[in-house]
Amino acid sequence: MGDFFQLRPASERPGWSWWSVVLLVTAGLMAVPSFYDLAFQLDTSVIFVLALLALSMSFLWGYVGILSLGQTAMFGLGGYVYAVMSLNTGDTTTAALAGILLPALFAAFLGYFLIWGRISDIYFSVITLVVTLILEKAIRATSGDQFVVGSVRLNGQNGIPGVPALQVPWDPQTELFIDGVFYLTAACMMLVYIGLRLLLVTRFGQVLVGMRENRRRVELLGYDSRYYQLGVFTLCGAIAGLAGVLFAVWGNFVGPSMFDLNQAAQVVIWVIVGGRMSLAGPIIGTAAVVYLTTWLGTQGVGQVTLVLGAVLTVFVLLFKKGLVPSLADLLSWLANGAKGRSRP
Amino acid sequence: MSAPILETRQLRKSFGGVHAIDQVDFTLWPGELRCLIGPNGAGKSTFFKMLTGQHRPTSGQIFLEGKDITKAGAHEIGRMGIGIKNQVPDVFDGLSVRENLTLAARFALDKAKAAVKLEEVVDRLQLQSVMGRTVGELAHGQRQWVEIGMVVAREPKLVLLDEPSAGMSTEETARTAELIREINRDATVVVVEHDMQFIRSIAAMVTVFHQGRILVEEEVSVALSDERVRDVYLGRSAA
Repeated sequence: MGDFFQLRPASERPGWSWWSVVLLVTAGLMAVPSFYDLAFQLDTSVIFVLALLALSMSFLWGYVGILSLGQTAMFGLGGYVYAVMSLNTGDTTTAALAGILLPALFAAFLGYFLIWGRISDIYFSVITLVVTLILEKAIRATSGDQFVVGSVRLNGQNGIPGVPALQVPWDPQTELFIDGVFYLTAACMMLVYIGLRLLLVTRFGQVLVGMRENRRRVELLGYDSRYYQLGVFTLCGAIAGLAGVLFAVWGNFVGPSMFDLNQAAQVVIWVIVGGRMSLAGPIIGTAAVVYLTTWLGTQGVGQVTLVLGAVLTVFVLLFKKGLVPSLADLLSWLANGAKGRSRP
Repeated sequence: MSAPILETRQLRKSFGGVHAIDQVDFTLWPGELRCLIGPNGAGKSTFFKMLTGQHRPTSGQIFLEGKDITKAGAHEIGRMGIGIKNQVPDVFDGLSVRENLTLAARFALDKAKAAVKLEEVVDRLQLQSVMGRTVGELAHGQRQWVEIGMVVAREPKLVLLDEPSAGMSTEETARTAELIREINRDATVVVVEHDMQFIRSIAAMVTVFHQGRILVEEEVSVALSDERVRDVYLGRSAA
């Protein structure tokens, strides 16, 4: 379990214990549709989608030291690109790929100016947040009849309903139903999680972690940190775009709220609660907070936002590292304690 | 004689109207161990920052083995085989000693060679006992050594060190002096320092800076007995 809970990347490959946990979890997820009803699958799928969005933010923040508050920009773009393209062409496979590629290109474009401009970290955060809010306002302003892409009206505030379900690429007649979407989102989340973990082992990944610790040392060692920053920002843009596509597929709907402040802030909360310095953390944080939000909604408390705020405050004050790393600390403390006691 | 490994021509750096470094011609030969000394504000740190690409000169040129590197960024200079250590340790505080050194070695070498190099560096720096510790928790002197380890792990041909013994105990300083002499066996070394004891113990050529210019360039014993050098250190007018 040590690998799974790990606080910082080991320079070594993940061990067999990590692989067995990953395989077990994957197997468990794949079995869910046989045991649970469609409503449960639907609720869980969206957690996987949002966890992807959280991963795209936490990887940048926790491992590279780049705090991007605007991953929702790429998330929303991914959703809108998929919606507009699939409604226009009827070909969902190309639309989904474009929904990943275009946000990645957008991230590269934005990142180029932010990183080559040597903008300080705090402005990086502010500008990325402003970018997502600008996109939100821009989309909200497209209610008129004149805002049409191809044959699709953007609809401003109301968003685009009736986004097509994803077709199986090799069999376009078959569309993914709720259980299909469940499998797809679960697989995407696990693959991205595994991919990011393995990325940390590579030299590229180690340079990224080095940049978080000390950017000047990385430069003095001979590495142009700008290319690494741009590379990882683009990669995380693609992940956020993927999350956006899946979100559109899941709900058959895209709207400007995908870009808004509420959405952007929630990503930060998921990551803080789960723990940014771990890859499992943001996934568990997303699941916990989304579940809590839904549950509070059904309890008729009425003050969901207030309760969430309190939860965030507690975490920031008491569990600075987040849920998963704190748990890991507890485990290692217990293990050490046990060792200490067993000594004569 | 071979070509100089490092050379500056008419190097100048101005902050506002003040010339922190004023028309400096400096030559360093391969295999040398050179100390840059001078009282506070003499310009030695500014000079160091320009050599390492962290400050851009106002005018003049810097050559590495005859190649103009005046406009090179810090990462390019690092890539040319120059190992740099600033005064404040630039280490990866959140990572273990092993991870720090591995990162440095792997930047330059493939995995197998990096592992061999790692062993060698750890032996040389006697860091075996702290390999698993987080660098941020180590004592100041040890963090400095970890950084020196990161610098030499890349097998640089030229090593530039800014006050490597700052804040160290007498014992640690002696150990650092020994390390620098060892590094000098394979690489040309430039050390910015103002601890006289330390400079005497590494017994090198010294370049004395004063008011942005080179005042004296001599063997350490000769330089330190020079009347002008005594004057600037005692704050008397050098003119």
